[in-house]
Amino acid sequence: MAAFGRQVLDWHRLIPLTWAWMARQTPHLGEQRRMTASLLRKLTTASNGGVTEELSCVRSNNYVQEPECRRNRVQCLLEKQRTPVEQGSLELERVISSLLDMGFSNAHINELLSIQPGASPQQLLDIISEFILLGLNPEPVYVVLKKSPQLLKLPIMQMRKRSSYLRKLGLGEGKLKRVLYCCPEIFTMRQQDINDTVRLLKEKCLFTVQQVTKILHSCPYVLREDLGQLEYKFQYAYFRMGVKHADIVKSEYLQYSLTKIKQRHIYLERLGRFQTPDKKGQTQIPNPLVKDIFRVSEAEFLARTACSSAEEFEVFKKLLAREEEESDSSTSDDKRASLDEDEDEDDEDDDEAEDDDEDEDDEEEEQL
Amino acid sequence: MAALTLRGVRELLKRVGFATVPRRHRHKKKWAATEPKFPAVRLALQYFDMTYSVQFGDLWPSIRVSLLSEQKYGALVNNFAAWDHVSAKLEQLSAKDFVNEAISHWELQSEGGQSAAPSPASWACSPNLRCFTFARGDVSRFAPARPGSLGVMDYYLMDAASLLPVLALGLQPGDIVLDLCAAPGGKTLALLQTGCCRNLAANDLSTSRIARLQKILHSYVPQEIRDGNRVRVTSWDGRKWGELEGDTYDRVLVDVPCTTDRHSLHEEENNIFKRSRKKERQILPVLQMQLLAAGLLATKPGGHVVYSTCSLSHLQNEYVVQGAIELLANQYSIQVQVEDLTHFRRLFMDTFCFFSSCQLV
Repeated sequence: MAAFGRQVLDWHRLIPLTWAWMARQTPHLGEQRRMTASLLRKLTTASNGGVTEELSCVRSNNYVQEPECRRNRVQCLLEKQRTPVEQGSLELERVISSLLDMGFSNAHINELLSIQPGASPQQLLDIISEFILLGLNPEPVYVVLKKSPQLLKLPIMQMRKRSSYLRKLGLGEGKLKRVLYCCPEIFTMRQQDINDTVRLLKEKCLFTVQQVTKILHSCPYVLREDLGQLEYKFQYAYFRMGVKHADIVKSEYLQYSLTKIKQRHIYLERLGRFQTPDKKGQTQIPNPLVKDIFRVSEAEFLARTACSSAEEFEVFKKLLAREEEESDSSTSDDKRASLDEDEDEDDEDDDEAEDDDEDEDDEEEEQL
Repeated sequence: MAALTLRGVRELLKRVGFATVPRRHRHKKKWAATEPKFPAVRLALQYFDMTYSVQFGDLWPSIRVSLLSEQKYGALVNNFAAWDHVSAKLEQLSAKDFVNEAISHWELQSEGGQSAAPSPASWACSPNLRCFTFARGDVSRFAPARPGSLGVMDYYLMDAASLLPVLALGLQPGDIVLDLCAAPGGKTLALLQTGCCRNLAANDLSTSRIARLQKILHSYVPQEIRDGNRVRVTSWDGRKWGELEGDTYDRVLVDVPCTTDRHSLHEEENNIFKRSRKKERQILPVLQMQLLAAGLLATKPGGHVVYSTCSLSHLQNEYVVQGAIELLANQYSIQVQVEDLTHFRRLFMDTFCFFSSCQLV
């Protein structure tokens, strides 16, 4: 608990101690009690938690000095509590005070307690404590739980196991925040599934451990993705586009949908603005940076990277979608039964094996 | 690298050549044991990149992506079928007859006194051609053609741009027409659709391709027109036409064999860019010039010739025309005048993209 307290103090060192100042102005205990009670009531009815948060943070700094005030606040909160206290008001009181200590605002605490009538306050506290221990701040914890209340249903043992696993993966603090916002099921999903994804990235795609962490943190949706799709996406970048591991990670490529990846890449390729490097890693034109292909908005992509019009890109997207559809169903390409072009085919010509293949590098410039 | 699994990569690598290997194979006497390391379609693309980036500059990327993507078709209505029904059906699909649109647009303009270009008879497009396309940006496809109630097919699907040479030729009723390199027969069919051909001679050196032309005529043109002397199909060397039938024709279409740019980027089989056909490809302009010269010689004085290719290359277009004109002037003392097609381009600029800097003396 000492370490815990230290953590709490860390965050709030910069917040002005208006509460402490106010408390000092009222030396009489009785008056103080009344004053704190009335102040509290005013504060808790405020619509947003901004002001209350600040003061509650201040409050926690002085918790050692003002036990009376704390109890009063707890009493106020209990008065405001509309749901029935299940395991005795003592437990609830303890939970609320712990939450206050962690730095949660009154408004947030109220909401958190009323999210799941099913979850006991103790359960709530345990879950929240785990998040705090993982390095998350109260505000993000509140947001995450609000958005994904199913997290409160987690058995605490699983929660702890998962936390330690995530720590091992290098996901904590700020990194975890982002993952939780996008993908809260990182706590509820099966360990095996996370394992599978991590293993795919490490063993099949050959990312380093640090790279895997970075990927999970920057592209949390990979946890949701079908493994085959994920592998294909990687292979597309590595083999088809010739992008190396470092760039895949740096550009956060794995977060984009395969559709978008193919659309933009193939468009550039057909325009002649992107070339797959040969086996020596060389291209005849300088390829645009991966981030300039995917990270930018479509308008910027068209203006700067593709140097093409939106109209043309729209038509291309439609054509590509159809091409993909047709190659999936892989029917014979004699669909165009009655179509004729003026082809320069000479049917009598023998199509012999290409035995006159030279190395690509020796390809001469042909003059016609 | 060896540790990386290559599951599904083979399919990806196939696509590195920017073209899928065709699954359909006609009967081949000998099959390649492995895929070519440097496929002809890739050689074609390399060649085009080299030549056309210079020729077209900033326009090339846009042209390039169009060539590598699916083309847009036009449905040439078969006037020998119930063409009004067919037209109505196509209209219902939201396709438009671009020929009709162009002509009515021009008529509106000339009525309003806006049209600057005069319209002597020779400017007029070949009549009775109806060709439907979908609107700009609409990637819908036409259903394959089907036979109608009169026993002939309802429309013929072709690259819409292939109709332009026939339109430009400006047929008039009663013309005697020669299609010097007619196979596989799309333009020949279009010539017949005009209803202007008193006699039509369709020729192509390749007998197998002429067979395809015959099939098309069978499917689209009623027997009474095919039989008799009105349509003659031959398989001779087109370069001989000057001697064979000099000064005979009112209108001649010379749609020469070329590098078939679009086709060469997609079809690996018998691709003219494969190394074994290099010599053949290199002397193409000579062959083309000889064919054009023959076509010119076969034309009556005062007659008209259209030269067309499906290549973007200057060497196969302007260069050839220039050469043929000089040849006729020097060897035969025949004067050939190049007609300015600006007016024609303007007519169709809503449907097609024309290159503005065509160089011709």
